[in-house]
Amino acid sequence: MATSLGDRWKGLTGWIKAHPVTSLGVLTILLILWPLFINNQYFLRVATNVGLAVILASSLNIIIGFTGMFSLGHAAFYGIGAYTSALLATRLGVPFWLGLPAAAVVAGFFGALIGLATLRLRAVFLAFTTLGFGEITRIVILNWRSFTRGPLGIAGIPIPTIFGITFNRFMYYYFMLVLVALVLGAIWRMYHSRIGRALIAIREDETAARSMGINVFGFKVLAFTMACMLAGLAGSFFAHFQRFISADSFVSNVSFEIITMVALGGTGSIGGAVTGAVILGLFPEVFRFLAQYRQVIYGLILISVIVLKPGGIVGVKGVFEKPSGGQKGFWAIVGDHVSAIFKGGAA
Amino acid sequence: MLVQQLVNGVTQGSLFALLAISFAIVYGVLRLVNFATGSLYMVGAFAGYFIVTYVVSNFLVAILFGAIGGFIVGFILEKVAFRALRGVARIASLICTIGFSVFLNELAAVLFGAEAKAMPSFYSGVAFRVGGAAVSWLQIAMIVTAAVVLIGLQLFIFKTKAGLAIRTVSLDFKTAGLMGINVDRTISLAFSIAGAMAGIAGVLAAVYYNAVVFNMGNLPGLKSFSAAVFGGLTSIPGAILGGYLLGIIENFGVQLVSTGYRDIIGFVILVTFLLLRPRGLLGRKINM
Repeated sequence: MATSLGDRWKGLTGWIKAHPVTSLGVLTILLILWPLFINNQYFLRVATNVGLAVILASSLNIIIGFTGMFSLGHAAFYGIGAYTSALLATRLGVPFWLGLPAAAVVAGFFGALIGLATLRLRAVFLAFTTLGFGEITRIVILNWRSFTRGPLGIAGIPIPTIFGITFNRFMYYYFMLVLVALVLGAIWRMYHSRIGRALIAIREDETAARSMGINVFGFKVLAFTMACMLAGLAGSFFAHFQRFISADSFVSNVSFEIITMVALGGTGSIGGAVTGAVILGLFPEVFRFLAQYRQVIYGLILISVIVLKPGGIVGVKGVFEKPSGGQKGFWAIVGDHVSAIFKGGAA
Repeated sequence: MLVQQLVNGVTQGSLFALLAISFAIVYGVLRLVNFATGSLYMVGAFAGYFIVTYVVSNFLVAILFGAIGGFIVGFILEKVAFRALRGVARIASLICTIGFSVFLNELAAVLFGAEAKAMPSFYSGVAFRVGGAAVSWLQIAMIVTAAVVLIGLQLFIFKTKAGLAIRTVSLDFKTAGLMGINVDRTISLAFSIAGAMAGIAGVLAAVYYNAVVFNMGNLPGLKSFSAAVFGGLTSIPGAILGGYLLGIIENFGVQLVSTGYRDIIGFVILVTFLLLRPRGLLGRKINM
């Protein structure tokens, strides 16, 4: 019997779901071994950048996916981490290994500050405040020339060393792999802990969560701070990997890209955020000829995912599902929308 | 000097007021925020630019086509981002409008190029001087246009049947539906009008700054949301007041801080008001 591509895909994903440990092990071994066989500087660089995207998307997923809050300023915390680490290294000669945690702490500090100030507000207002904070961060970086060198950016950020050996492309990649594993492990542990359950409860029904004795505000601030710390960590790595940073790397379009990754993969699912980050991280490399349309396509992806497939690729029953109504196929939803647009009724 | 800042402030405030009212109308009928408002402003500016460059070089025609451009895109936006997503978590519509904002901006960059295009000023020269301040004809044209549009909108909302429908829907759309109001059409109309307001603001800004560029709406969009919250997101007069006040405060604030930081002023006001008085100056009490 001929099996269609769709069936095979379903079979594969089904097998992966049935054997999570084995598939994860296979994936890990592949990720560790491939650079030994394909020694290609470009691939290593792309893979390292994808790792960065995975950390950023996974951290934002804690805010949007787990807790149902909304942050449009994630790039700002990423930037704060990058600048902290870069300034410490270039001005005070602080090594990467101290700059990395310092970046996380400083980004987390600002995250906590913003969180304490705004997390009592409704999602819409939180969204605008974080977007505003992102703009403020960018403007301060551009204007505080004596401290951040303004539009010139910071160049010559030192390459990290370990036991006296300077990082090469391999070491950057493997360190990124370790970082991703640690971050995802931590998020996985958190998701399945008391904290994770509290966050999900808040997302599902804030009032009910509060009446069950969950400290809603406290957990929201905690989740927001943790996510910002992870973004700061990514920023520090980015600074020492790219070795040049400027405000251009942390504009609000970067925040939107991270949101697109989370939404595309599946909001609220750890695997979803990773999937989205990998796809959109590879996308500009694979589709070079579409380079100038990149942002246009991101916008389209965001619109279509939300309207047509709210669960994302992973298909999680996430934040965007309609409260009632059964599962519908992709084309059925398209049809509904088209007829709604022409008839003028609600879909 | 102070009078000059005041005049500049009111001129800029006209732009903020038009955009703030766009936010207030949408928030009024759906309790949602349209992130793509800044992009509608850009769409309006491009519509005006193309008319002026290729068809007829006339200020009022440019304004008219800016309004039409904003109206049409606002209409489409509502169909896709709000109609289809009604009943889903609010966050979904919010993200969808972000998608629209990115999409529209970047599409404009790809289609029309990323460099700024020159828009003629139409009016040149100083109209009169008052207390050492020079008021240009262009500033007068802008202030008058914005005032006429805002007054027209007030008349529409408070004196016509369609305006009554919008006000009713904004109070309670379920009850409004039971009273025989076509809720869908009313929301559609409100959105399109909001788009037209943003489009008009876009043309005015293009004329004032002599430039049309794909990302011109980003900062004004954000700032005028601050202005709307400042004045009161649930109140149309409040949003107008917030817009003018923000323009004036920004221009006076530049005297105190360096010009590089002027864009921060709006956000400081936004955060302060959200924390201390979320309903704004004139808004009614809402659940935040």
